Amino acid sequence: MNEATRLTQTAAYLEAHGLDGLVAFNDGQNSFLASNAVFVLAGVRALGESAVVIDRAGGATMIVTPAWDRERAAATARTERTVGTDDLAAALAADLAARGLTGRRLATVSLGTLGLALARRLGAVLGAAEPHDNFTRDLARVRTPAELAAARKAAWIAERGYERMLGLARPGMREFELAAELYCHMKELGAEDNFLLVSASQHNLAVRAAGRRVLDDGDIILSEITPCYRGQYAQICRTTVIGVPAPALADKYPLLQQAMRHGQAAAVPGATIGDVARAIDGCLAAAGYGAFCKPPFMRVRGHGLGITSDRPGDVTTDSDVRLEAGMVFVMHPNQYLPETGYLMCGEPVVITPAGAEALTEHMATLDAVGG
Amino acid sequence: MRTVQPAIMIGSYGWDEDRLPRDEFQLRTAELHRLMDANGWQAMLIHGDAREHRALAYYTNFVPRLRWAMALVPRTGEPRLLVSMSARDVPWMKLMTFIADVRTGWDWAGGFESWLATLPPDGPARIGTLGFDEIAATLHGAVERSLGNRFTLHDAQKLLPTERPLRPREISLMSDAAAMVQEAAGAMAAAWRGGAGAEAASLAGERAARAMAAQDVRTLVSLDGGRSLVPFQANFSARPDPFVGYLAVKQAGFWAELFVTAATRPGALHERALAGLAAAHAAFAPGVEGGAVFAASCAALGTTALHPVLGQSVGRRVGLSLDEGGALTRDSRHKIALGSVYALHVGAVEAGGGALASAMVAVGPRGVRVLCRSDDV
Repeated sequence: MNEATRLTQTAAYLEAHGLDGLVAFNDGQNSFLASNAVFVLAGVRALGESAVVIDRAGGATMIVTPAWDRERAAATARTERTVGTDDLAAALAADLAARGLTGRRLATVSLGTLGLALARRLGAVLGAAEPHDNFTRDLARVRTPAELAAARKAAWIAERGYERMLGLARPGMREFELAAELYCHMKELGAEDNFLLVSASQHNLAVRAAGRRVLDDGDIILSEITPCYRGQYAQICRTTVIGVPAPALADKYPLLQQAMRHGQAAAVPGATIGDVARAIDGCLAAAGYGAFCKPPFMRVRGHGLGITSDRPGDVTTDSDVRLEAGMVFVMHPNQYLPETGYLMCGEPVVITPAGAEALTEHMATLDAVGG
Repeated sequence: MRTVQPAIMIGSYGWDEDRLPRDEFQLRTAELHRLMDANGWQAMLIHGDAREHRALAYYTNFVPRLRWAMALVPRTGEPRLLVSMSARDVPWMKLMTFIADVRTGWDWAGGFESWLATLPPDGPARIGTLGFDEIAATLHGAVERSLGNRFTLHDAQKLLPTERPLRPREISLMSDAAAMVQEAAGAMAAAWRGGAGAEAASLAGERAARAMAAQDVRTLVSLDGGRSLVPFQANFSARPDPFVGYLAVKQAGFWAELFVTAATRPGALHERALAGLAAAHAAFAPGVEGGAVFAASCAALGTTALHPVLGQSVGRRVGLSLDEGGALTRDSRHKIALGSVYALHVGAVEAGGGALASAMVAVGPRGVRVLCRSDDV
């Protein structure tokens, strides 16, 4: 399987469901947690709102905004035709007409994510199209070899970013300065985007985006480093102390590492996401922290990663999503403990028959930088 | 300019109460109250998301770093801000706004419906909206379901003046943003002149802006000598001459932007772009129509085509959004307004390459003041 087969798979889906065509949209925003349907089908991350039209014969058009971005999009698009426009609705109407799809039975993906004014104009063009919003995220739920390689590269960039942080973080530095340098360093390594949270306190309640706070001795720096490489986000979660870690911190951090190993072992093909979350929670509960395995002390035990597919979704005990070999997500038993505050520990993983294999070279440890 | 929207804005956000004091927001809230009174609305809903949030930022100072936020402003009583973040993120969200009642938008019943229940049942059944052109259709559906048959929504945008004059303190903040973009663009050009490739130079500009606590930084760069501009490609080997790049920064909620062209020796296209910019500047005065500015620029370009990346415009108003309207296009009847800040940009392109030049200008009672310009870089 490769990315190009997704167009033919889409055509087969249309055939199987008695549909004449599919129109997938993207709102031009890039969520690291969501599937970008246009990227899944066309292989292009557009600047503005965009669409892909696919007919039952497998013919496909990508429509990008703004018009001047057409040349770049066409250079990498997997579709047979690429249109640049400043009026997505008009261009869509023209392409549907050219393909004989006007008034035919159409499916849509992600129309509801677009801004209301545009969505209404598109709705008028599409008529009574049926939303099939899960189609692309299901189609791309297992990474292709190229996507997995890109995810590994993203994980490699994340680790290099973290190494940079270990070399840079010092008392007196502001959080935003640290974040700026990490962001730019990872961009130098090829990261086209980065969901980067870096924050510090002496007793953290959660991680957040960097602010103006000045780093101090004894701070615990939390970092959620999530570079994107060729459309694949990979996330690592790390905990770093400025100075010598307090005894409680050194004592408790291995609990998170152990929970991570339990989660990895449970994450085999056929297991449910709920099984994985329970394995992690069980480890913490056995150490006496069962009451903390709920918000606001933690949020989820991991989650899918965009922008191809966010499957298997949030790692929560109530999820019955079944794991498949080749799925990629981040597993993170991040946890608030009363003795230490919030701690972070997490890796991007790929599901294999032996469990969840970390895409990183080095698993999270409690690290210290000079105070 | 349209650039790739990042997954999150990583810059330093907060509410600088010294520069935008509480009384500024009292004035802004009073505008909403007048609007509600004039139209018989019991409340207003103001939506913004990570990409477009000018109305939300104006009335609340809040900028969503990702996803969306919505201010719920009753005519009587205190406003509430819903933020599409988890409940544990709320304490940090509060640092960005004067609104005390900030809640997670993920708990719709506790956030939106509980607020709706506080509206007096005998009050008007009408609610005004701002920013709803850009609200996701799914979120709009949730709002409508909660309103049911009790309330109707009414678009307030068309009732507001299209060109709100900036107050002096807003122009002061925009001057700061312009100074930042000028300095960062200088770092970008200096890196290229120092031997860096186009993308490395662009990154040098971004790094400089982020180190100055920019809230957001956007870049485009040319890998083909100015003929086209592209977002970041991680292609560090290309070092075209001339270098053409675009840099936008956000500071205290306000945007500033510049196109920069640098070359080892003067080029005819760059000269034409500079001449076009000078002509735009010369024609630019309060009351002048946008079409006249466009015509003056194009006359200076001669037979050379206007750069396509500009979308047939030589400028527009900039503020809390990179596009505050007032595009200076061929047919524009928009009149240059006092109390506005404009980005002017003129570019020339031929088959072999292109060049762009730009400036930002503030239109005040003492004339048109240049805030930054690319030929100073």
